[in-house]
Amino acid sequence: MTAAIETRGLTKSYGRSRGIVDVDLVVEAGQIFGFLGPNGAGKSTMIRLLLDLIRPSSGEAWVLGLDIHRDRLAIDRRISYVPGELSLYSELTGRQLLTYLGNLHGHVDAAYRDSLIERLELDPFKRIKTLSRGNKQKVGLVAAFMIRPELLMLDEPTAGLDPFVQLEFERLCEEARSGGRTVFISSHQLPEVEHLCDRVGIIREGKLLAVETIADLKARALHRLEIDFGGPVDAATFSNLPGVRDLAVTDGTLRCTVMGSVDALIKAAARFEVHNIRSIDTSLEEIFMAYYGSGEAADKTAAGEAGHVAA
Amino acid sequence: MLLRNVFTKTVRDLRWPTFWVSLGCGAMTGYFAILFPTYSKLFDLNSMLEKMGPAAKLLGASMGDASTLIGFLHIELFSMILPAALVAFAAGTASGFTAGEESRGTIDILLSYPVSRRRVVLEKWLAVVLASVVAVVVLWVFAIGGAAISASPLPPDLLGAALVMLVLLGLAFGDIALAISAATGNRGAAIGLTVALMVAMYLVDALSSVVDGLGAIRPLSFFRYYMGDDPLRNGLNMGDAAVLAAVAALFLALAVVAFERRDLAA
Repeated sequence: MTAAIETRGLTKSYGRSRGIVDVDLVVEAGQIFGFLGPNGAGKSTMIRLLLDLIRPSSGEAWVLGLDIHRDRLAIDRRISYVPGELSLYSELTGRQLLTYLGNLHGHVDAAYRDSLIERLELDPFKRIKTLSRGNKQKVGLVAAFMIRPELLMLDEPTAGLDPFVQLEFERLCEEARSGGRTVFISSHQLPEVEHLCDRVGIIREGKLLAVETIADLKARALHRLEIDFGGPVDAATFSNLPGVRDLAVTDGTLRCTVMGSVDALIKAAARFEVHNIRSIDTSLEEIFMAYYGSGEAADKTAAGEAGHVAA
Repeated sequence: MLLRNVFTKTVRDLRWPTFWVSLGCGAMTGYFAILFPTYSKLFDLNSMLEKMGPAAKLLGASMGDASTLIGFLHIELFSMILPAALVAFAAGTASGFTAGEESRGTIDILLSYPVSRRRVVLEKWLAVVLASVVAVVVLWVFAIGGAAISASPLPPDLLGAALVMLVLLGLAFGDIALAISAATGNRGAAIGLTVALMVAMYLVDALSSVVDGLGAIRPLSFFRYYMGDDPLRNGLNMGDAAVLAAVAALFLALAVVAFERRDLAA
């Protein structure tokens, strides 16, 4: 079976920091694939390369088995794209825009389009310039799904969506997958996509660090815990538990980071009087730093994060 | 209906600018055509121009016989105001075609549909050709109508020949603006450079008979081909028209090639 996306040594250099470096990625067809990384990691660069909006410095890439540059129009008939910074023709109404884009594509099932408008509760008669960010995003999503593409490329699609639309969006993605189509979603927030994706690729500073299933990633996820005890506890009781790191105990409050399951720590803590447990969700950035990261940039961000939590 | 493709969408985008340019140029020309007999009774324009001497040449009024309506239109409108208006219209809109979609961020969505970059440039260009033709057709109707009202003779074919040259001049400069904006994504630079070039070419042409040395570079000025052979008197000069058409085609081709090769702005 042809991969939905395949890249070999794909590189885009922009001077020093931006761009992507030597990315080898295979996204199998029929999956929901999460492309995760902090802001500025190269997610949009990757997508814009695959769309031939920018050209690689070196390397090759295929979408649906077709060369991203030579077979551009053949690819464009079979994919759709929602940019991260979604800009639409603001003088048009939602309906006019969908008509225009539908005409450019050539084959749109009007009934299906209207059902999408209904499901996302979009008011198609308002001018796009009057819409809120979330409502604009709805227009972009209807446009992307209405052509029933074989591959959907969605760059940060959930930004600005309210919970109801978010849910409907996830249903649309799952419907696409059950129809054998592929969804490629970029995000900088793991919690937003973790229950949706089959696999995720993690990119940082332009380098693809890992491609894993969500289950594997979660097993390695970090939890930062704070436990308030009824009295003083001995740090040594907890320091050798599996996965526990960065342990500190002060005035009956334990602070630590746990990799993977928190089971052992909770069971150990249960032997004492526990007043409160706070779990602080770890950001992707922290996962990156803990498992893949080092270097100056990561250290700086770590310091920033810690300061933020303490404040 | 106007949302069928990039061409019709661009026609739609240009509908109000086209309306105002057509109405403005048309009304101005009609006004001069209606009032021409009154003007020529009040002022002896030819002797005024003679007194001005070289200054008249700077204003582009070196040619044309002010005692006829067609000569009067040449002096008042075709030498300076109409070319400036058409060039501003063509360059102003063409510079915003790809660069406008880039700066608004809509180019990403547009090109993710099965439309090639070449097609985007060519279809948008076709829209500005149509808009320019509409503008001069409206102008022609107003001029002929005004001449009929004032019962002044105005040969429709000579007027038409001048309008063909006017469109070609607008497209030559418009395509330069298109090429600069397609190559750089910078609309401001495209407009600025094109207007600067137009002013320089205008001055070279207007002053070439007064200032020594300018005559040698006069063939570089588009204005030499635009009114050099006075189409309002002699009709269409196919050679001059071909030069402007070739310049326009060259810069259109450059715009396509530049836009196809570039990394587009995010």
